[in-house]
Amino acid sequence: MISDLQQLEESALAELETAKTEDQFLVVRTKYIGRKGLLTGLLRNIAQVPDAEKPLFGKLCNELKNLLNTKIEEALQRQAIRKKEDVLLKEKIDVTLPGSVIKCGRIHPVIQVRREICAIFASFGFSVVEGPEIELDYYNFEALNIPKDHPARDMQDTFYIEDNIVLRTHTSPVQVRIMEKIQPPLRILSPGKVYRRDSDVSHTPMFNQIEGLLVDKGVSFGDLKGILTAFLKNIFGEGTTLRFRPSFFPFTEPSAEVDIRCVMCGGRGCRVCGQSGWLEILGSGMVDPAVFQNVNYDSEEYSGFAFGLGLERIAMLKYGISDIRLFFENDIRFLKQF
Amino acid sequence: MLVSLKWLKDYVDIELTAEELAHELTMAGLEVDEIKAIRPQFSGVVVAKILAVKPHPSADRLSLCNVSDGKENYPVVCGAKNIAAGDIVPLAKVGAVIPGGYIIKSSVLRGEKSDGMLCSEAELEVGDDASGIMLLPSDLPLGMPLETALNIGDTVFNVGVTPNRSDCLSMIGIAREVAAITAKKMKQSSVKVKESSEDINSLTSVKIIDADACPRYTARMIKNVQIGESPIWMKTRLEAAGLRAINNIVDVTNFVMLEMGQPLHAFDFRFLEEGRIFVRKSKENEEFISLDGKSRTLPANTLLICDGVKPVAIGGIMGGLNSEVKEDTQVVFLESAYFNPTSIRRSARKLAMPTDAAYRFERGIDPEGVVKALNRAAQLIADLSGGSICKNYIDEYPENISTVQDIPLRLDRIRQVIGMKIGAKDVVRILRSIGMVLKQDGKGRYLVTPPTCRVDILREIDLIEEVIRLYSYDRVPVTLPAIAVTEMAIIPRLDLEEKIRQLLIGSGYTEIVNYSFGIPVAADHLCLPENDERRHLVRIKNPLGEDLSAMRTTMIYGLLETAKKNANNGSFDLSIFEIGRIFLSRKAGELPEEKNILAGLLTGKMTDDLWGSRKTIDFYTMKGCLENIFFDLKFNNCRYNSTVVEPFLHPGKSCGIYLDDRQIGFLGEVHPDVLEKIGLKYNAYVFEINLDILVSAYIGRSITYQEISKYPAVMRDAAFVIPDTMEADKMLNIILGQKEDLLENVSIFDVYTGKEISEGTKSLGLRLSYRAPDRTLTDLEINTVHDRIVQNTVNLTGAKIRGE
Ligand SMILES: [Zn+2]
Repeated sequence: MISDLQQLEESALAELETAKTEDQFLVVRTKYIGRKGLLTGLLRNIAQVPDAEKPLFGKLCNELKNLLNTKIEEALQRQAIRKKEDVLLKEKIDVTLPGSVIKCGRIHPVIQVRREICAIFASFGFSVVEGPEIELDYYNFEALNIPKDHPARDMQDTFYIEDNIVLRTHTSPVQVRIMEKIQPPLRILSPGKVYRRDSDVSHTPMFNQIEGLLVDKGVSFGDLKGILTAFLKNIFGEGTTLRFRPSFFPFTEPSAEVDIRCVMCGGRGCRVCGQSGWLEILGSGMVDPAVFQNVNYDSEEYSGFAFGLGLERIAMLKYGISDIRLFFENDIRFLKQF
Repeated sequence: MLVSLKWLKDYVDIELTAEELAHELTMAGLEVDEIKAIRPQFSGVVVAKILAVKPHPSADRLSLCNVSDGKENYPVVCGAKNIAAGDIVPLAKVGAVIPGGYIIKSSVLRGEKSDGMLCSEAELEVGDDASGIMLLPSDLPLGMPLETALNIGDTVFNVGVTPNRSDCLSMIGIAREVAAITAKKMKQSSVKVKESSEDINSLTSVKIIDADACPRYTARMIKNVQIGESPIWMKTRLEAAGLRAINNIVDVTNFVMLEMGQPLHAFDFRFLEEGRIFVRKSKENEEFISLDGKSRTLPANTLLICDGVKPVAIGGIMGGLNSEVKEDTQVVFLESAYFNPTSIRRSARKLAMPTDAAYRFERGIDPEGVVKALNRAAQLIADLSGGSICKNYIDEYPENISTVQDIPLRLDRIRQVIGMKIGAKDVVRILRSIGMVLKQDGKGRYLVTPPTCRVDILREIDLIEEVIRLYSYDRVPVTLPAIAVTEMAIIPRLDLEEKIRQLLIGSGYTEIVNYSFGIPVAADHLCLPENDERRHLVRIKNPLGEDLSAMRTTMIYGLLETAKKNANNGSFDLSIFEIGRIFLSRKAGELPEEKNILAGLLTGKMTDDLWGSRKTIDFYTMKGCLENIFFDLKFNNCRYNSTVVEPFLHPGKSCGIYLDDRQIGFLGEVHPDVLEKIGLKYNAYVFEINLDILVSAYIGRSITYQEISKYPAVMRDAAFVIPDTMEADKMLNIILGQKEDLLENVSIFDVYTGKEISEGTKSLGLRLSYRAPDRTLTDLEINTVHDRIVQNTVNLTGAKIRGE
């Protein structure tokens, strides 16, 4: 009888091994441990087992019954889970189709550059200031040491509203207005639109500038070099090579034009840098004593430096744009790229 | 300014390559924008001698020449008539290339062999003469390449001379800089004038009437001149500097101007009536024909050079047609003067005549260079034209031209400005290298007198700049200023703008930047009424064109134009915004009002993909976006008032935007008439918000936490049938206005017109939410309040309950 039991176990386990569907597992259960099942039948015939073997036989039978029960239950549970999964899998969607939110817009590239530059100078302690875009001749020119009938006026072709009112040609007049009101120390940054009577591939009658001014006791040309070097390495990368060379602005002396190694050709010379290997990036200089005198700062006590740069020019270099007019055409296909 | 390297080398020895020199000049403040090589337009052309000339046996017009280059003899067939045996001529040998790229080949002309070609000036492009073969000086060695013999080939620098450096508007001026930079000495040259016995004072006189505009006037006379072409060396110099050769007199005046920076003028003396010169300012509306042939009405106070009767030149700007040097001129009256820079600049601007002379005078010439240039030019004219220079020169010098002397300079101040110490020796060496004279004035102090040509050096700081410029900016160490705490208030509007910018980006809007200019007709296109403040245009006196001739008074027009431009490019779906200023004119003499504005435009679809939600836009798309922004910025007091109508908006689909009782802007669909006028095919929605007003309400906004109720809210719905024209806002206000404590909120869940609802009315479905802070409400409590609210609302508005 015990050997019958062993045979039964082998065949039952073999059948469970091959069963796949829920029905097949239920068939196995009925066949072996159902009310009329084979194992149940064997147990029912326990009387025929010799007495000495009866306890063992009973125990083995029960163990087998439990084993089969557990195995079948587990299998059925697995089946149930798989069934649920199948239902979900049938709902499978195409995840490669595009999402249906409103697509984000973009910030104008010049404004992006303005943000970046303002953030860098904010970290140097500079605050943003503002002033009118339509300005008195006095603030735009005379207070900045550019008298009427001075050839330096040719450097900036001016739009006139009245004889003494102009569209500001730079944001420097803001600095004068601030200095009139506030005593040093001063670290200010004036971003904004400026206007010059000029129009071609590299000039638009309106463009954006940022100018900065730092005034304190003991500020030197070396400090100017220091701040501007830190700024340019920040915006164009640590490896940027730059040079300061003498220039002329009526409101600064000494004045310096700052060039960086051409970002297009690395200095070998190309169309963008006019074969020189260098790109003019900003104008700067120590504030001319005449400007301080106009705002009643004592130039023996205080000194300072100012600098200015065109935002479109920076954006053109950063993004490889060759025509400045693109910034103001507002073609959505252009704007979406930034 | 164009600067010839060869010409520079006349005054200073230069060992640097062209590129090195360009770099040195640039780093000393004379930026070289361009280096241009001038090469001869020919090759293989040599100096040769005609040994014999005989007629061509079968062609009358041709001759047969036997030509030697010093080594070999060549048979050459030639068509020119001006040659004879013994002449030295340019020979283009077989294989030579002449201008135009022609290669000379061995050929047979009417049966005669020709191994080369004799050339005219024009054929070699070294001059204009095409009448015959170019005849070369007889002392040239045979076989020498012609470019060497004629000294053709040069390097030209385009130097950007800043407005302060008038001393560098000449070859000698640049050469002085080169000498200073390279530590070389200038080659000295002095002019010796060979004078005849006839005294200029016996022939003419000069009288200055307006000495403020002309403090000094000098003149010489050269008689018996023979007008002709200038020699090639002078023509090549002038051409390298960008000027055209004219004749040997005018060319000398230009040459000396380029060489020394002193503009000069030559008159034909026979046209100077009464043989004398008066210098005076013009009266109102004097007429004058200048050298360029243009008749001009002169503004008052233009400085004129006059003879005894009439003006003969606009002083310092341009000569007159009536006294110019002609082919038969025999006596030249040569002017070298100092004109007041401001006077010249005003006149040149008013007359729009930015001539080379005016350019130099208005920047200030060397007052002590006037006579040097006069003598140099007179002698050159005599040399080139065979004329004789009269004895003495006229020097009317009624007013002293101020020059600066003894500028105090402190070594200590140099250190403060630059941030490093430059030794006394270096300072003295640098300043002396550019012609400054220094006197010690105590320890570490000097008195410095600049050369008279440096009219830009007036103050200590000007001297300091010269020191650092020539010491080299590169050698100044990089330092950082000490951190100082400054008391600058941040601008709240900029902070607000940044937040709005970010919110709009997230809502699908892209930022644009339009010109701040406006086209005046915009006001008409937008149908603005006559009394609208946006018709108070700020007009530009000198615009670049009609469409840029005023400043914008609204941003809407620019947005519509942008939409149109994009539609023309096939981009019909657009969500854009702009942050910028508009400008409204005030009284004359006052600065215009500038307002900071946010504006936006929406047209087409919100998404551009073909799958996904292709939401078409309407009024509520744009309004929702603005509501979201106000929500984020915590403006919970926004109202939308449809009684405020902009003339360019759809009267039924637009409104004013209010913060409490202040209007901050408007929003709506663009009026179809306006769309048509601008040429837009599709509906567009726009808004404009005044940021200056918005920010005034934004300052000081704070948040106070409100306890979240532990007890549930209960909803009850009610649908009211009300007239079509009645705004939902009114219903909400009526319901909230009943101030029922348990009523927490009312929201709209449905707006319906159509079936079951009679014509002219709409059904407004409202959801009322009830809550008590301290307990769960019972049905009875809620029903009592809800019924009371509904009944009151019906009573107050005359609305019907839907379905009743
Ligand atoms: Zn490059």
